[in-house]
Amino acid sequence: MVKEEQELANRPDNTAFTQQRLPAWQPMLSAGIVIPGFVLIGLAFIGIGVALFVTSRSIQVLEFDYTGVDQNSPCFKCSDPKVLNCVCNLNFSIDSLFKGTVFFYYGLSNYYQNFRKYGVSKDDVQLSGDLTNFKTPSDTCSPYAYDSNNQPIVPCGSIANSMFNDAFKLYQIINGTNTLVPFDGKGIAWWTDYNIKYRNPSITPLKNAFNNTVKPIFWSKPAYELDTSDPANNGFINQNFLVWMRRAALPNFRKLYGRINEGDYAQGLPAGNYSLEIAYNYPVLSFDGRKKVVFSNVSWMGGKNEFLGIAYLVIGSMCVFMSIVMLIVYAKFKFPEEDGVPGH
Amino acid sequence: LTCTNEESCQRAREKDLRNLASNLPYEGLERAKQPNCYFPGNAIKTTKYTLLLFIPMNLFEQFHRLANIYFVGLAILNFVPVVSAFQPEVALIPICVVLSLTALKDASEDFRRYQSDRKLNNTPCLIYSRKEQQFIKRHWKDVRVGDFVKVVCNEIVPADLLLLHTSDPSGVCHIETSNLDGEINLKQRKMMSGDPEFEPESFNSAVVCEKPNNNLNHFKCYVEKPNKEKVGAGIESLLLRGCTVRNTDHAVGFVVYAGHETKAMLNNKGPRYKRSKLERKLNTDVIFCVILLFTMCLIGALGHFLWLQALPGVPPYLVPDGNGHLDSPSLSGFYMFFTMIILLQILIPISLYVSIELVKIGQIFFITNDIDLHDEGTDSRVQCKALNITEDLGQIEYIFSDKTGTLTENKMVFRRCSIMGTEYAHKENAVVIPDRTLLQQISRAESSSSSRNIDPHLDFFLGLAICNTVVVSVATAQRQRKNRTISEDSVEEEDHVKPPVKIEGSGETNKLHTCSLHAPSQCDKSAMTPDNLSYEAESPDEAALVYAAKAYGFTLLARTPDSVTVRLPSGEDLVFQVLDTLTFDYNRKRMSVLVRHPITKEYVLYTKGADHAIMELLATPYAEHLSGKQKNIAADTQYHLDGYAKEGLRTLCFTKKVVSDKAYESWSVNRQRALAAIDNREELVMDTAVQLETDLSLLGATGIEDRLQESVPETIMALREAGIQVWVLTGDKTETAVNIGYACRLLEEEDLVINMSCGNKVRRPLSASLKVGCLTQSSDVVFQFAFTSMLDCTLEEVRRFSEDPRNVDTTQNISLVIDGHTLTLALSSDLQKRFVDLAKRCRTVLCCRVTPLQKSRVVTVVREKLNVMTLAVGDGANDVSMIQAADVGIGISGQEGMQAVMASDFAISRFKHLKKLLLVHGHWCYTRLASMIIYFFYKNAYVNLLFWHQFLCGFSGTAMIDYWLMIFFNLFFTSVPPIMFGIMDKDVSAEMLLGVPELYRTGQGTGEYTFKTFWISMLDAFYQSLVCFFIPYLAYQDSDIDVFTFGTPLNTISFFTILLHLSIEIKAWTVVHWVIMLGSVALYFIVTLAYSAICVTCNPPSNPYWILQRQMADPMFYLLCIITTVVALLPRYMFHVLRNSIAPSPLVKARHLDRLDPSTRDQCMKMWRSFRGIAQVKPSRLSTPPSPTLETPVDIHPHSPTTFDIMWDERHH
Repeated sequence: MVKEEQELANRPDNTAFTQQRLPAWQPMLSAGIVIPGFVLIGLAFIGIGVALFVTSRSIQVLEFDYTGVDQNSPCFKCSDPKVLNCVCNLNFSIDSLFKGTVFFYYGLSNYYQNFRKYGVSKDDVQLSGDLTNFKTPSDTCSPYAYDSNNQPIVPCGSIANSMFNDAFKLYQIINGTNTLVPFDGKGIAWWTDYNIKYRNPSITPLKNAFNNTVKPIFWSKPAYELDTSDPANNGFINQNFLVWMRRAALPNFRKLYGRINEGDYAQGLPAGNYSLEIAYNYPVLSFDGRKKVVFSNVSWMGGKNEFLGIAYLVIGSMCVFMSIVMLIVYAKFKFPEEDGVPGH
Repeated sequence: LTCTNEESCQRAREKDLRNLASNLPYEGLERAKQPNCYFPGNAIKTTKYTLLLFIPMNLFEQFHRLANIYFVGLAILNFVPVVSAFQPEVALIPICVVLSLTALKDASEDFRRYQSDRKLNNTPCLIYSRKEQQFIKRHWKDVRVGDFVKVVCNEIVPADLLLLHTSDPSGVCHIETSNLDGEINLKQRKMMSGDPEFEPESFNSAVVCEKPNNNLNHFKCYVEKPNKEKVGAGIESLLLRGCTVRNTDHAVGFVVYAGHETKAMLNNKGPRYKRSKLERKLNTDVIFCVILLFTMCLIGALGHFLWLQALPGVPPYLVPDGNGHLDSPSLSGFYMFFTMIILLQILIPISLYVSIELVKIGQIFFITNDIDLHDEGTDSRVQCKALNITEDLGQIEYIFSDKTGTLTENKMVFRRCSIMGTEYAHKENAVVIPDRTLLQQISRAESSSSSRNIDPHLDFFLGLAICNTVVVSVATAQRQRKNRTISEDSVEEEDHVKPPVKIEGSGETNKLHTCSLHAPSQCDKSAMTPDNLSYEAESPDEAALVYAAKAYGFTLLARTPDSVTVRLPSGEDLVFQVLDTLTFDYNRKRMSVLVRHPITKEYVLYTKGADHAIMELLATPYAEHLSGKQKNIAADTQYHLDGYAKEGLRTLCFTKKVVSDKAYESWSVNRQRALAAIDNREELVMDTAVQLETDLSLLGATGIEDRLQESVPETIMALREAGIQVWVLTGDKTETAVNIGYACRLLEEEDLVINMSCGNKVRRPLSASLKVGCLTQSSDVVFQFAFTSMLDCTLEEVRRFSEDPRNVDTTQNISLVIDGHTLTLALSSDLQKRFVDLAKRCRTVLCCRVTPLQKSRVVTVVREKLNVMTLAVGDGANDVSMIQAADVGIGISGQEGMQAVMASDFAISRFKHLKKLLLVHGHWCYTRLASMIIYFFYKNAYVNLLFWHQFLCGFSGTAMIDYWLMIFFNLFFTSVPPIMFGIMDKDVSAEMLLGVPELYRTGQGTGEYTFKTFWISMLDAFYQSLVCFFIPYLAYQDSDIDVFTFGTPLNTISFFTILLHLSIEIKAWTVVHWVIMLGSVALYFIVTLAYSAICVTCNPPSNPYWILQRQMADPMFYLLCIITTVVALLPRYMFHVLRNSIAPSPLVKARHLDRLDPSTRDQCMKMWRSFRGIAQVKPSRLSTPPSPTLETPVDIHPHSPTTFDIMWDERHH
């Protein structure tokens, strides 16, 4: 035996792997076999679809365009870029309770935050609080790195420069008096942005860190004075700034401005008349853009979007329909595996 | 001339003739003053690179690939700020990975070469030194042209040596050339004529030799002595580098070529590079991808231009350049074109070529590890020499096969002989059992001493023993051999069969014979007893004949270049002086040995050869008293020969000629002149051979059986069912070939056999006999005319036959038999089209009596005219050109040396292995690779996701997926599964493929990888990318999602779609499949999660920090992944399901049968085959008898000396 093995030293190993005889599962794709699968998937999808659709239906949304293109619009007077510090009031009424925590968004249309060169135009190192980049911002910020006096701009770059600067105040009109409905602006940005990615330099007061720098050209206030009411909400960790810096994926987008979850409004916005006071600063007509505000409550699946529910319902019913087609095909072109004659 | 001058060195090396002198007188002088200093030393360097220059040289080498230049160009483009789409440094990563992987592979290969070079260069050898007055031990690298080198037994020759001295008294040296050509029989080399007391220091002649060349079988040289006397020498005096000296104590040679100029090194080419059909097609598809890419980029550029134009003002998101200016829309559009190229570059699959190479390595691993393709007898596996044409094995349409040694065993058994018109048959046995009557005849002839020298029976056997080039060695010689040889086999078998011979011999009281066989005379050297002799022959025929002669008592005892010793049945040893050996060549088809008879002192020429090469040279009657009978003997012998051929035996004629002293003298002068010639030497030598081989007298003929290899008929049947046309090209007689054709079921009994041959009975003038053409110039025209009309006529007939409605399925049941002469005409440029047209309609074509060159011509013509995939299979040196001409060349390592194997792409040991190699491995390799490539194109088209996004970002070239993840996506996450798919997928089991050869047809012609399948998969990729982009888009519309959070589900969705798409294509899931697929999924999540957790500010602008983590906490992410993947894959899935159900391909049916239990499956396979078989056979029985005009042989030109016969040979047994 030993001798024989030695003689056939060249003999390949007789294993299932080398001889390509590994046990294998061979799924066959034919009508008869896939019917149960299709039925199952179809029913499951219809179930998910119904759940999604119902959930989406229960979400309340209130949208107002306040660009002021229309002459009847309250903000028409502000749409002229020559008018500065314009304030306009948007009045509306709610018929029934706006349930739950109401999210207040501002929305922009035809605004390409996803433009490539725009997206590059920031300095992550500067935004993480590195003081050397305060003095010498990265090239990526060009041409918003230095002002005309060659002073470094902080925060530099086009994204920061173009930060949305309309301000909103909501009043409920109860018996003719305006009661402020408070917006909770905390925690509207990503936790990781607020705590890890964006950092202020560890210099107190914060203002000193910004010595020898200038504010972005379009800004009216420097970064350390973004929120005068809350000193912790300034610099690079200003919530609205963080929200703006997270660039929208699509040209029509909304961004969270605040939540309504305090005091009398913790259960939602009660029915009644409201007035939204808008500090109209941001010009959008130069690129044919639109501005809007959105009130919305959310569910486990996020904001209102009926598409996904409908898609699940359509695909689910299609699968069920296909399984019926398969049944017909199966009856007609059955594989005669039993009688063993291949083909027809 | 000085050696320091580079130019003069160059000139000296390139001269047609080289003048070499001994180095010894110049020993100790500086190198520049030595006469042979122009020629390179013996140190070799096969490495491609040097340590210092490795990087530039390797890069230069790699940039010969167009794809690499393309990708480097793109990476450089990324450094141009206005067009860059990614961080420039990151864009370099993929191309750097590919280049460095290839460089690493090259470096390790080169290092291995360096090590083996160093080992060879430091091998010890013996060089003569004048100072020491003896041979001293040096290294191979010290050997120089002009040195004297001594090689002792079992040592390897360090350089090409002109043999000047050997220890053997007869002046021969035995060498084994297995290192060079793999042949394991011993070859004799003889020393240059000189005195046996050779002293290197007294060698004062000049050696003049030709420029180095790579021909292992030719060498031209002469030695000019100081007295201007020239002595010629050829390959028979050259010891080649790499050979091993055997059976000779030592030999001394003069170094003529050293190092890289040796024949062995000149022959040592690297592995051959062939481009497979699939790869050629693939390249055109890559070009389609480039066109597609450019179209997409153009759309992007145009879109960007229009988008910018449509803007009413300057929006805040438009970033001006450093000076605050904005580029004009047209300039931006122009830049955008290049940005888009960078962004969408993945559409051209960079890793495709690397992946294909990896897949082929895996496929070759499985082919070479197939235990069914391992031959127990020789313990050899299938060898894959060409590494990149595995898939061609699955597309073969024509097989051209040699007969001897390929279809047959090439183990020759002496079966019949015809002596002086009388026939003697032998039983089928590995060892010849002598025929009684013939033995008696011999003993009678021997005893009557008067007729001894003229008795044709004795002459016949002397001819058998002498007229060959068989080398005698002692079986006990210490030679370690792994491979079997004929001699060892036969000797062993002889021992087993000996007792019956003894009984028979003694029983018949043939004392003389018994004595000679089993009781050798005492005067012999003990080593030279007939029993332990071993014969080493270059062709097995010769050995069979010598063994046959031995069985009748004519034992070949020894052969030196100058003499042959034969022991007669009487026990007497005759030493024949060999004056010349006219070696075999394919033009003459015969060989002769001229000897001087020791007793009669006559010059006798023994010639053996193919019957048609001999019969026309016969002349005067054999002897006076036989006068008048000679014609009859020739006729009888021819009759016997035809009979042998019908039985499928290989035939040879033996003749003898007594050359007068005077004739010999004059011929000898011519011969010497021819041998010393440098120009046209081969032709001159052949001319002299032809001059002598005239007026031969016929002794008889032999028939040697060459048994069919096992399973040949089954293999041929299976190949034919697989839709492969099998042609046989053989040098044998038509009858032999036709007979073998029937035996191996190449021809069927009910076939129509068209026999095309020009009855070439005309005695040609000698001068013309060398030409391959069968007629002289003038009658050629007439003949060609006749042939043309015949060809047309046959073609018309065949066409009519095949178009006959009753013969719908029978077109292939016509077979064509054509001989070499006719083939020459048929392949002439104006007729080949018609010939190919005819051959195409025939199921089998048998070409007989063809030369090696014709074999390759046939292959080339069929390959080019019909545009089909061809495979040539052969075992001998005469098949080399055919093997090289075909798309796939297969060598059979058999009895006839290794030349065919060396030239081949794949080497197998038995013909039957072809069946599994083609039907199973060929099919698998092709379907696997074709599916893999299609999948690869599909996979890379996923980059369309980025393209669709351009419509929503102002065509600005934004990528919403992090660039590192994009690189990882192609490099790690989705690269292994398709490679595994290409190596391991199994659409149908091997048993099924072997059982139903018809399944092979799926790969033939255009196969599965076609224009259509490519575009379908590209369209599918477009559809899927649309779905994968727009479903998430619609779901996230109007939300606050940011760019990279939007990109993450897209990336995940396309990852799952790509993997699940592959899952639909995978036909058999083994453990390996599961591990790799699930491993890829795990890798994707682990790497992406880790990357998203680590990367806080790295790789701007993407900042993937914590994105996937956030997404995975959101149920929407999963809901989106599920629905998108399902919608993306639903059409393909449905398409597969419906096609498999409504119109299943044979492969699908086979897969269904595969699921049955083995016994039922076998039954089904049988039914399937018989179902097809009946469909083929039935109508042929109904076929019309062919038109009467072609039934009888037709004489086209009554006055022409040639007859041309075409006959319908309808054989019903």
